[in-house]
Amino acid sequence: MKAPRVFQLTALALVLVSAVQVGWWLFDQHRLAVDKLQEMQQIYAQQVVAAQALLEAGTPAARVQALLPDIVVNNQRAALSADVDGRLRAEERRRVAQYAWEGSFFIIALAACIAVIAGALRAEARVIEEQESFLALVSHQFKTPLASLQLSLETMSLRPLSPEQSRTLIDRMLSDLARMEGMVTQILESIRLDRGRIDLRNEPIDLAAAVARVITGSEERAAKERITVSADIERGLGVMADPLALDVILRNLLENALSAVAPLGGGTVAFTGRRADGEARLSIRDSGVGFRPGDAARLFQKFSRLHPGGGGSRFGTGLGLYIVRRLMQLTGGRIGAHSEGVGQGAEFVLAWPASEPRQSVAGAPGDAAVPARREHS
Amino acid sequence: MMHRILVVEDDPHLGAGVVENLRAEGYEVESVADGRRALEWLAGNACRLVLLDVMLPELDGLTVCRTLRERGDNTPVLFLTARGDPIDRVRGLEAGGDDYLAKPFHLRELLLRVRAILRRWEWYQSASAAEGAVLRFGGNEVEFRAFRARSWNGVAQELTEKEAMILKVLAERPGEIVSREDLLERVWGYDVFPSTRTVDNFILRLRKRFERDPANPRHFLTVWGVGYRFMTEGEPS
Repeated sequence: MKAPRVFQLTALALVLVSAVQVGWWLFDQHRLAVDKLQEMQQIYAQQVVAAQALLEAGTPAARVQALLPDIVVNNQRAALSADVDGRLRAEERRRVAQYAWEGSFFIIALAACIAVIAGALRAEARVIEEQESFLALVSHQFKTPLASLQLSLETMSLRPLSPEQSRTLIDRMLSDLARMEGMVTQILESIRLDRGRIDLRNEPIDLAAAVARVITGSEERAAKERITVSADIERGLGVMADPLALDVILRNLLENALSAVAPLGGGTVAFTGRRADGEARLSIRDSGVGFRPGDAARLFQKFSRLHPGGGGSRFGTGLGLYIVRRLMQLTGGRIGAHSEGVGQGAEFVLAWPASEPRQSVAGAPGDAAVPARREHS
Repeated sequence: MMHRILVVEDDPHLGAGVVENLRAEGYEVESVADGRRALEWLAGNACRLVLLDVMLPELDGLTVCRTLRERGDNTPVLFLTARGDPIDRVRGLEAGGDDYLAKPFHLRELLLRVRAILRRWEWYQSASAAEGAVLRFGGNEVEFRAFRARSWNGVAQELTEKEAMILKVLAERPGEIVSREDLLERVWGYDVFPSTRTVDNFILRLRKRFERDPANPRHFLTVWGVGYRFMTEGEPS
């Protein structure tokens, strides 16, 4: 039997046993009160008999009432005072009510404790499930480049190859290794982002300069794949963000756009920056393979690779856009994606609170990794 | 004879590696990178084998295989996938796949499996052609080449590739005991299935199609603990 089921059954048994216990207390208290009432009634009956005997023996009524304060005398007849009976019954009701309240409180407190424990167990189970599914996805992501690497090596070992064929296979293997290295980097980044183990600065950055730098870094790839990358950023447009995080965001989005355009044999990627409604908005529009409009939200999930139209980032880890979204959230910005459909290109729009730009940007961005120097241990 | 093989793999490096190796073995190879294009290609072209990745863009490999079978296309399918759990293998075979190879795989194993599938297919095709390709028993009539049959009550039957191949193996040795392992080896190859119970399920399907009383079979007889015996005349009940 699974652990959560055992917990549920144990909790149910505990609540049932407690309810039965409280029920028994109520019954027992009621019985005790009734016994006590009867006992008191007998005592009072004896007092009435004694009082009557005293009256008949000639004791004045006032003297009898002084001796037995719970007895009233009327026309030389002794009787029990009416409020004594009421007092006895009120006492019985008070005791039963006291146990009912205390018992109910006990059961509610117990149920609340069980609910808290159940919630904690569920959360733990969810974390374990997420970890397992993360591991499964990670191992799955690595198997394809590993398979490619193994195939290339076995091809070299099995077949006589020309120098050109060998070169092709070596290039392919180096690319597979780079792919796996990139995956490791992105997986570590995503884990650090998940755990919030990075400390991001918040400072004004000139958006045009940041975009220009990222475009320069991808010039070679863009030229090789016949992709024209352009930027039209409103003069003086600045954002409040972490310079290195912004660099990672822009680099990932540009890589994503290039990968979406490459399968079509060429095209365009355009950065457009404008100020609107007190925000700085940056749009990255590509003429690539696009995606189904309904898949927009799924793009930013971990290990999501839509491969629209057979293209897309075939070598991607499925973590790039996830990292972009997390970094945007952590830097106070937001991101959205839009496409008219497969084959229609795509547009990613970033928005931050606008700010005045600075002349220089602190921290020269390195590779596409989240800054390790500010990692909390 | 040069066999044509379709490789459906979205990873360019792995796809290229597989294509180059199959070409080096003398096969004619076509390749596409997503499930939708695979179905489009197969709708207009014929091939002897499809190497099909499971996790594909557009349409996953399992859906592609299921769609092929629904179309009545019995082209053998060898799944290549990063998911190698037994349950994933079973899913692939349930979808109509013929074999399953988990990534990363050995090149020699891939080539062996490709050869084994093509050999089985060739055996089936040549045996079906050589014998006039029609089997008659107990009022049933089976056309092996067309994967069609007419059962004793006149109902037309569309046989799956595996049903036809099992029937073919049994019909080649009428009256003889054929072990489950033998059937597995001849129809599926080697370690494709986790158990020989799969064969039992296919025999049950054949009984439902061709026996007048599937609960008391007269043609597809169980030999307990060993396998099956096929009787063309029918065992007297």
